[in-house]
Amino acid sequence: MTAKPLGLLAGARVIASREFAAWFDSGVATASTIAALLLANSIFMNEFFLAGRIDMGPFFARLPVLLVLFLPAQSMRLWAEERRTRTFEVLVTLPLATGSLVLGKFLAALALYGLFLVGTAPIVVMLCVLGAPDLGLLASGYLAALLLGGLLLALGSLLSALSPDQVVAFVLAALVSAALVLSGDERLVAVLDGLFSGANVGTWIHDVFSAIPHYEELVGGIASAPALAYFVGLSALSLWLTTTLVRRLRT
Amino acid sequence: MNDSVRPLLDIRGVTKRYGATVAVERVSFSVKPGEIVGFVGPNGAGKSTLLKMVSTFLVPDEGSIELAGHDVVKEPLAARASLGYLAEHNALYDGMRVLRYLQFVGRARGLARAELAERLAWTIGACALEAVTKKRVQECSKGYRQRIGLAAALIHDPPVIALDEPTHGLDPVQMAAFRDFLRSLAPRRAILFSSHIVGEVCDTCERVVAIHKGKLVADEPVSALSKRANASGRTLDQELVRLLEPAQASTEAAR
Repeated sequence: MTAKPLGLLAGARVIASREFAAWFDSGVATASTIAALLLANSIFMNEFFLAGRIDMGPFFARLPVLLVLFLPAQSMRLWAEERRTRTFEVLVTLPLATGSLVLGKFLAALALYGLFLVGTAPIVVMLCVLGAPDLGLLASGYLAALLLGGLLLALGSLLSALSPDQVVAFVLAALVSAALVLSGDERLVAVLDGLFSGANVGTWIHDVFSAIPHYEELVGGIASAPALAYFVGLSALSLWLTTTLVRRLRT
Repeated sequence: MNDSVRPLLDIRGVTKRYGATVAVERVSFSVKPGEIVGFVGPNGAGKSTLLKMVSTFLVPDEGSIELAGHDVVKEPLAARASLGYLAEHNALYDGMRVLRYLQFVGRARGLARAELAERLAWTIGACALEAVTKKRVQECSKGYRQRIGLAAALIHDPPVIALDEPTHGLDPVQMAAFRDFLRSLAPRRAILFSSHIVGEVCDTCERVVAIHKGKLVADEPVSALSKRANASGRTLDQELVRLLEPAQASTEAAR
């Protein structure tokens, strides 16, 4: 009978559906998603009642900091768990391309994050009931949130493949995510510029490395090519590196 | 066995090193359709390393391995598609329900819906898993876990089957049933079956391949091994020890 091996995308779909279902076998993933959702909604509500603005600006402004903790908790298990339980051998001896495995796991994590974003829909509904929010701006904010989340998950996948266990994977992913997010904070930029006067290290890191300037552009409704290229390019690079690393883990 | 029949599993001059340690050294043998070959050797002899290379999990440093004509390095996907593999530790996705796990493996192996339904029915029946299909893997006993691993290895009806210590965790009744089951699979397929229990291998296989310290030390029919053991008044285990420790054997002979 020996069926023909699946193509890249068909293989990724099989892996993604298994992974997505597996999140719900893990109480930690479900609990962290619910906790992040409650936190995100309560942060918004607090800001909304204080400022009284009919937009999601404050929500999208706070979201990156929340993702620094929430997404590494999701990505830590992607590869480290397979290695711990020795199912890594089962997975990589299936007739699927390594790219299918990496893409499938990434898409499953992204889908779970997508569920989290869908969970913030009550905010949008509430804004629409109370006033007339700029729907284009809302859509652009959600696109920014999706792209930033995708990048942090792709980096988390790479660090999970690099790490011998989930805790190390979580810490590494949280540190890298924090560096990408906090380097966009103007107060930190000023401190770094002050520490290395003349070199403008903080500004350089902010302009070249940080995800936040690109994220803020998108949240502000400017879908610039450099911002899109930054997120898509870095995510693709992380996934390619993960594929290379997973292939090397077999040899 | 007809010599003109092309082997389904062909291992040629395979070597695998871990740093300075040579785990497998220039091992060559083949398995033809209809053969069940027992792969024996003490712990650490290199059996699992060789099987991991057959499964494409490890890459040989030298030599080649072909599964149903597909080279494991040059055509890994086609080679994996031809193989049913049960790894030494039989790791499974513990959180999944048994039926969903088998469905996942079947889908990952490219089985279409109708084929998958047909193969699921066959493997669940053949591996006697009816009682546990709705249970989570982690709720199953060791014997059931081995059978789940075996069902996953057979779901795509592979022409080559490589089993690393498949009877580990089975009780004597289950072991006897497993032997019959393996024999029923043999026509059309090449089966390589590793174990460190010689009696079990001799009861199941027609041919035995022995490896020691990474080197092939014997490749002969079980009947020849039994005949020699009977002639010399030794047990099969003692006869195999003679094969595995040639230096020791020559010392004994000198006495």
